[in-house]
Amino acid sequence: MADQSAEIAQGLRRRDPDLLDRLIEQYQHRLLRYLLHLTGRRDLAEDLFQETWVRVLERGRLYDGRRDFTAWLFTIARNLFIDQRRRRQPQTEEPTELDATAAGQPSALDLAIEREQSRHILAGMDRLPAEYREALSLRFQEGMSLEEIAGVIGAPLGTVKSRIYRGLSSLEPWLKGGAL
Amino acid sequence: MSADVHERARALIACGEEASWLDEHLASCAFCREFAGAARNVVRALRSIPVTAGPDLISATQMRVRQRARELQLRQERLWAVWICCSSVTLVAGFTTVVLWSGLSWVAQRISIGAPIWEMGYVAVSLMPVVVVAVLLLARGTHLADNEEV
Repeated sequence: MADQSAEIAQGLRRRDPDLLDRLIEQYQHRLLRYLLHLTGRRDLAEDLFQETWVRVLERGRLYDGRRDFTAWLFTIARNLFIDQRRRRQPQTEEPTELDATAAGQPSALDLAIEREQSRHILAGMDRLPAEYREALSLRFQEGMSLEEIAGVIGAPLGTVKSRIYRGLSSLEPWLKGGAL
Repeated sequence: MSADVHERARALIACGEEASWLDEHLASCAFCREFAGAARNVVRALRSIPVTAGPDLISATQMRVRQRARELQLRQERLWAVWICCSSVTLVAGFTTVVLWSGLSWVAQRISIGAPIWEMGYVAVSLMPVVVVAVLLLARGTHLADNEEV
């Protein structure tokens, strides 16, 4: 992990376009998923996706390789989102259109149930405050440690724990209401 | 069992800490087991949702990044050129000043002109190009005003 981060840091200092191509492909799904949860809108998420990589190119020299690259990347994406939100007028967030598919080779019925459950959970997520949604996404979708999340969102560890806990607690009644 | 214990258990379920204490508690508490089950459902559902970035988005991003990289490289090269020009001009100006100063000093001695006079003359001649350029710029408006019009 440290070797990989150091290699990325070297490449970013050189502004190596081949390395950036590889990183874009490697992190495409994770970054877009995170941005979708932040913005709640696919078009905004895709704009920010591009902006994030341009910013990575421009600020790449600031990445020293001591920190996990994923956390650094997500911090950039988050800061861009905050900047954009400050610039824009508040807009009503539309539910995110996400493709939900089950892993493996499930039956058509299993697939339909899984898809329905995922939609239901996503609908619940959309109703959560953005900071809870972000914490849940980083923790459970991206598999980040609590310390890494604290680094990304720039908040104390206690705040991270509290947001995850409150996020899950807020989803609980929603899940019970739609238990399959 | 006190409410605090359930609260602690729920916080640990959310953050995945103190597994042994939590396991013991869950074994004897149906209330928290239910919460743990709900939390597992959320985690499973979140992990089962693949969000895919379309190939168009990826190629557009890669193209944009490459284009920006070229722009930055060009800017960097221009900065180098400016830096080299400035350094060269400074060196040449320094060398010229020393040579001219010595030359004028020698000529002034030969034709018996006082030091304050030729020194002031030298400073005036040295500053002349800067003064002329400044006057010309002021006459046609500032550089910034020109850019704002565009």
